[in-house]
Amino acid sequence: MAVDFTFLTRVAPALAEGLTNTLTLAAAAIVLAAAWGVPVVMALLSRYRTVSGLAQAYVEVVRNTPILVLMFFIFFGSGFAGYPLSGFVAGLIALVLQNGAYAAEIYRGGIRAVSQRMPEAGMALGLTPRRSFGLIVLPIALRNVIPPLSNQGVMVIKDTSIAATISVAEITFKARLLADSTAAVFEIFFTLALFYLAITAIFSGAMRLLEWRVRIA
Amino acid sequence: MDVLFQALPQLAKGTVTTLYLAAASVVLSTVLGLVLAILQLYGGIILRALVEIYLYIVRGVPLLVMLFTMYYALPYANIRIEPNSGGIVVIGAYFAAFMAEVFRGAVLSVPRGQWEAARAVGLRTPRILLDVVLAQATRVAGPPYINTCIMVVKGTSLVSIIGLMDVTYVGKQIVERTLAPFEIFGAVALVYFTLCFALSRLGRYLESRVNYAY
Repeated sequence: MAVDFTFLTRVAPALAEGLTNTLTLAAAAIVLAAAWGVPVVMALLSRYRTVSGLAQAYVEVVRNTPILVLMFFIFFGSGFAGYPLSGFVAGLIALVLQNGAYAAEIYRGGIRAVSQRMPEAGMALGLTPRRSFGLIVLPIALRNVIPPLSNQGVMVIKDTSIAATISVAEITFKARLLADSTAAVFEIFFTLALFYLAITAIFSGAMRLLEWRVRIA
Repeated sequence: MDVLFQALPQLAKGTVTTLYLAAASVVLSTVLGLVLAILQLYGGIILRALVEIYLYIVRGVPLLVMLFTMYYALPYANIRIEPNSGGIVVIGAYFAAFMAEVFRGAVLSVPRGQWEAARAVGLRTPRILLDVVLAQATRVAGPPYINTCIMVVKGTSLVSIIGLMDVTYVGKQIVERTLAPFEIFGAVALVYFTLCFALSRLGRYLESRVNYAY
């Protein structure tokens, strides 16, 4: 078996057609999941037991279920219920539901990692608890969460490939079509892997830059 | 509900396959992960670089892409591998990278001073590794190890895409026939949830047992 690397130049443009879908899905999922994590962590940290209990149950359920099953549930379920969602929307909802829970856990960890003494010191200086949280705890917590959030973002980018199973025409889907119609499977999947490596590398590089920009010097 | 009861025997069969795949993948990824972590910690510069490259690739490429590569490409390379074992090998190799990070982090979390102190009281390297470093590292590794195991269990659902008859595959087949996605996929989700939730509870229990005198 000979690997024909000139084939890459022919495979890459075909795969790139799916690139827009992969990037849109990944970007939307990362932004929405990071946003959805905020109300979830607020519910988790709520002083009302029912609210925090419900949030905890939600987090446990989506974290302990494979993303593939979530996508199937939403995609086929929505069709059956009479409100058929496109594969893209169903995949996006599944990704946001699951990764929003992960994001909430990351936020919780980030807040907890800030020493309890800091808001106390703020209150000793006469800040209200709310302002003390907003002005002292939150800025430190936000810096804490960048690295784990970045890791989770990489997971989201990789998980967008699973949306290929509910017929979202992203790059893995395109690669599979190509693999079915040509005999150059090694080249196709090699190029596909390169695409993902490039996307995840750019994303984590950008996050590292952000981390560096907001560091406390 | 009737649909669900009729589907139960098939779902049970799929669950057995999932259990088997999950158990085998957890064992394989643990063993491979240990090897990778040891190479990364104590291997020479070349081995360390190779492991580093491997980890980099696995961190950046989706598991599904690796499964597809195995499924579509290996026959072209004239490598015949039974799909079940193929799935286990790919999943095991993939999550071994995550396991390696867990183990390496745990060993590195033991401060250097512990080594020096152990040497000062006259322990030899194997004893230091076992009684001083590993004794503390296992406690650190516990929770993230369980988390990675949960990722492995969830990851096995992807083999349904390359046609292995695990519980996700069976569920999808039944849904295509009965058009009852909520009941069937709900049941499938429940299978994974039970497995993963039990794992995380077990993890928490072990943690409390292991940390009793810490």
